[in-house]
Formats: sequence, C-alpha cells, structure tokens
Amino acid sequence: MKRIDILQRAGRNLRQAKGRTFLTALAISVGAFTLTLSLAAGQGARQYADNLLKNNIDPQALFIVKDKSITSTDTGSGLKEYSSDLSAASGASGASVAVKMMTDEDVSKLQARSDVKQVVPIYSLNAKYVTFEGNAKKYYSPLTYYDATTVSEVMAGSLPKLGEQIGDDEIVVPEQYLDTLGVSAKNLIRKKVVVVAAQAVATPSEAELQQAFLGGGNTAVEELLKPKTHDYTFTVRAVLKKSTLSFVSSPRLHISTGAAKDVYVYTTTGTENAGKYIGVTALAKGDSAAVKNVLQKKYGYSVQTAKDAQGLLFTFVNVLQGIVAGFAMLALIASVFGIINTQYISVLERTSQIGLMKALGMSNKAIGKLFRYEAAWIGFLGGALGVGLGLIVGWLANPVITKALDLGDNRLLVFVWWQLALLIIALVVVAISAGWFPSRKAARLDPIDALRTE
Amino acid sequence: MIEVRNVVKTYGKGPSAFTALNDVSFVVPDGTVVAVVGKSGSGKSTLMHIMSGLDHPTSGEVLVDGKNLKEMKRKELDAFRSTEMSFIFQSFFVQGNESCYDNVALPLEVSEVGYRHRAARVRKALEGVELSDKIKQRAKDLSGGQKQRLAIARAVVGEPKVLFADEPTGNLDSATGEVVQELLFKYAHDNKATLIIVTHDQDLADKCQMQIHVKDGVISRIDSATSKQADEGSTK
Repeated sequence: MKRIDILQRAGRNLRQAKGRTFLTALAISVGAFTLTLSLAAGQGARQYADNLLKNNIDPQALFIVKDKSITSTDTGSGLKEYSSDLSAASGASGASVAVKMMTDEDVSKLQARSDVKQVVPIYSLNAKYVTFEGNAKKYYSPLTYYDATTVSEVMAGSLPKLGEQIGDDEIVVPEQYLDTLGVSAKNLIRKKVVVVAAQAVATPSEAELQQAFLGGGNTAVEELLKPKTHDYTFTVRAVLKKSTLSFVSSPRLHISTGAAKDVYVYTTTGTENAGKYIGVTALAKGDSAAVKNVLQKKYGYSVQTAKDAQGLLFTFVNVLQGIVAGFAMLALIASVFGIINTQYISVLERTSQIGLMKALGMSNKAIGKLFRYEAAWIGFLGGALGVGLGLIVGWLANPVITKALDLGDNRLLVFVWWQLALLIIALVVVAISAGWFPSRKAARLDPIDALRTE
Repeated sequence: MIEVRNVVKTYGKGPSAFTALNDVSFVVPDGTVVAVVGKSGSGKSTLMHIMSGLDHPTSGEVLVDGKNLKEMKRKELDAFRSTEMSFIFQSFFVQGNESCYDNVALPLEVSEVGYRHRAARVRKALEGVELSDKIKQRAKDLSGGQKQRLAIARAVVGEPKVLFADEPTGNLDSATGEVVQELLFKYAHDNKATLIIVTHDQDLADKCQMQIHVKDGVISRIDSATSKQADEGSTK
C-alpha cells in the first residue's frame, strides 16, 4: 500500500473520531503551547539582552582586571599572597575582599600597546556633594565618567560624536534629576554645576603637627586635621534621556575622563587607593578575542570581552528558559500516554477492520504504518493548535508586557518561524514514537481472530 | 486450480489438542463454483482460511495455480492475496464511517493500483451491484442487503481469480440473499473465476457445481453436479 494512501486513510480515520482526536491533540497542545511561549520568551530575552549590550558596550570593548575574582563569581579561597597592589574592594558577593588592583604602571603599559586604544582606568568617583546653579540645596549624587563608546539619546543639549569625549569642564545630567531639581531640561543647559570633592584625611606626621602648632597655634592644627575639599565647576552640556536599554540602573552625573582623573587623584591622594584601579576599560583593535588572549598570556590579566559579557547574560536567560521548557516537557510526557491510550482503544475498536485489511492482503507493515500515521496526525494537530494558541497569546500579551515592564520598543515574546516549525516536527516525531506500541499491537493481530470478532 | 493436499489443522497441544481438519484433500478446477457445506464447528471456515493463506495448516499443503502457499514469503503471500483473491463475510465488515467509494477503493489501494485508474474501477464495481447512486453515502446508512452488495463490490473490484464467501447470505433475508447469490454467481461466470462459498444452507449449496461436505474435520462427501445444473444456477 502506498504511503500517501495510508496517510489519507489515517486522516480519514481520525476525522471519524473527531472528539477523541481533538481531546488527545489538546493534551499535546498544552505542552506545545508552553514550549512555544518559552521559546518566544527566551528569544525575546536574548534579543533584549543583545540590544542592551549593543547600546551599552562597544563590541570591541575590553574589561581588564588583574584579579580573576572580580570578573568571575568564584571568589576562590580568602587567603592570598600579599602584594603591594593588593587592596580592599567590594567583591561580587558584597563582602569586602582583598583584590589585586590595576596600577598606573599597568595603565601606561596598556596605553603603550598598539592593539588597544582608549585605555581608561575605572575611576571610582566620590563627590561629597553637588550644587546646581539656581538651587541653594546641596545634593548627593553618584558620579561617573562619560562613556565615549556608546551614543545616548538626549532630552536637551548635544553630545559629541561617537568616540569623542565631552570637554573637561562639561557635565551631563540624567533626566531623572529634573523632578528633584524642579527645572526643565532646556533650562538646565549651560547652567553651572559644582562638584565638591573631599580629600581623604591623611594622618599628619608629628613634625607637621609641631610646625603647624608653632605657626598658628590650635587653629592651625585643627585646620590641618580638617578634611580638605575642592570645588570642581562644570557647565551642563546635555540632559540624558532615560533609556530602557541603559545598562546603568541608577542615574548619575557624567564628567569627562580627564576631569574624572583629576577628581580621583584628588580624593585618593594620601590613601592606599591612590593610583590603583579596580580595572581598566579599553577598545581592542581588530579581533577582540585575540587581543584578550595576548593580554592574558603576557601580563596575566583577566580580560572580559563584550562577547563574554553577552555570554554571561545569555547563560542566565538560557537557564530560565530551560526551567520553563522542563515543565512543558512534563506536559508532553503526560500527553504521550494520552496518545498511547487513545491508539490502544482505537486498535481494539477496529479489530475487525484490521482483520479485513489483512485478509485483503494489506501487509503488517502497512497496518503498523496506518496507526503510526494516525498518531503523527494527532501530534501535528496538537502541535499546530498549541503553536497557534501561543501565537495568539503572544500577539495579545506583547503590548501589555511591553507596557508593564517598560521595555520601550522591545518585545518580550519573539516568535521565530523555523523554531516553531521544528517544534511541530519534533511533536510529530514524539507522537509517532508514542503510537509505536499500539501500532505494533495492530500489526501483530491475527487476522482470523480479528475477523471472528463481532 | 486449487489443490488441497493432506491438510491437517490442530489447535492446542497435548491431551487438550483439538483437530479441526484431519487429512483433507481435494482439487478445485479453475472457474468452478464450490460450496463447502457443514454444520458450525465442522471445520469449514478453517478450511477456507487455510485455502486463502490466512491460516497455515499444521501439516499438508495448499497449491494455488501450482504455487505452494507454504513456500511463499509473507510479503509474496500478502501481494498474492491482494491481487488474486478476495473475501466476502457473513457480517459484511464494511467500514460504516467511510463512504461507499472509500470502502470499495481499499483493495485497489492495497494492491497499489494507480490513483487515476481507481475511480473508474470503483464506479464499475458499484454499478455491478447497483449501488452507483450511493457512491458518496456512508456505508452505515445502507441496509443489510446493500451492505453485502457493497462488500461484493469491494471483493470484485480487484478482479480476483478466486473469491471466498463465508456464509454470504447468513445475515440476510431470503429475498436479499437471493440477489447476493446471483451477484456472486454472475461474477464467477462472467470472469471465469473460482467461487468458494462456505455455507450450511443446502439450498445454496445445491446451486453450486461442486459440494464439499465437511463433518468433524473430515470430508464426508464430494458431490459434483453436472455443468448444466451449475449454468442454470448462475443464470437464474
């Protein structure tokens, strides 16, 4: 018997038991539906993560540190050999751990290399307070330096071209500050912002104390022990628009790398953090992976490329997706038993039909195929139903989710046609394997016994 | 020509063994209308199953046109049954949920007749049993007599050389039974096919050219009627 004829007969047999076929297919569609949504959510999350990285990290970007424990979650053993560039820093776990810091020497070594450019150490900046022109209050604000490798949207003012820094006397303010300050973005442009940085209190030597006492008495000593501050004055160049794709969660003020260096040097002078950085960012020239290897081999640095960062995010997404897919698999396993059951009943019901077909010379193989194809049809129907429902739900839910999670132009559920097609094919295969036992029973039926039924 | 040689069929083993057929031998020439007559449990159905290759004898052999069924591979036997033989059963075994067309098309699908040739042959077979107007109807909506006529159409659509009929009129009243008998005889006569009717109805058996009486697993009597009588039966 030809395959096409068997397939047609299988389809006809199912149509004759519409209710049963539909219910069995429905069981599969539950798994198919869940898998469709988990695939779509995974795809959406990966695309979102991808957009996030593209908007925040230059693909050539390198993050270079000396201590592997900064970039990896493995903190190793707490005991480490002492070296002069060891410094206390906050580890991934939040506990204070001693990590090896990058030094000025490392920075200049990297700056001398021809395969990297825009080598900027990570200045951890601390302003005592900031004041805005036309506002008497003092504010606390996190401070960071302007990242020339990405372009951000502005509400007012303008930003330099990609790869160019803002001026050393310029500052960029985030949109979120406008409410607190009570001014519009336009009105903030060209206003002065004063950043007051405090120098760490250095313990003066005995000789210094004596000299101060001799020179100015008690007041001079107090003056010496009082923390020194310095005012850095900037002009607002632009107001950054709040972005759903921003990597930095909390809003902060941005100053140029040059100004950042000044502030950093000023605030750390006399402390053990002077001239030390948790890491260095740079742009690789050419293949970033190759540059990474060279730097790791030659200096023993730990280097993270943009791809590595992406991999880390993707791992997270994949794990979540795997959990959802796992539940879908459970649903599928349950539906497999549904198919087996349905097909067994079908074989029992159609014993005489099977006997007749055998008497007419239909081979055992063809009989087995007939029942397997019926299972395949059920799998296909269930798969198509589940995927269809998933598409409808995705279509309805996407705008709601996007609004609720504030994703901007991004969609959480992204459907990929080839994935869905593959899913349906996989379900057909699963259904065929579920139909194997009943089909074997049908194929092995003794035609004489079968014809005696009734 | 069908040759049955020393066929023995035993069910079970040891002391509980039951011998359904015990050393049965006979020859059916081509184009003969044969009645296998006997009471229920006499072994006549078993004999039909063995002659058609559906069942295998415990010992002995069956040769159809010189081919020993025992020596044929399963695939060959399936192909042989699908092209050379067909069946009609007491309880019709038509597929109620399928259309008459699909019921009749099944043997053609099994013997892999090309799609294009099927429709004409199905129509011709349904015409032969006067069911042309029911071609699209579901088989379950037919009356008993119509169902058996449909079964005949299904049996003859592949133009088999040997047609087995197991109590073909057993579930029918005498009038519709008469119609079914005539259709069977007509097919055998027109196509020079061998028709083997298993029955316990002596009236039906009397219309056949050859009667094989089976009793308790052995042949008690073989009657060969004159060809004149047989011709009368087939044209009646």
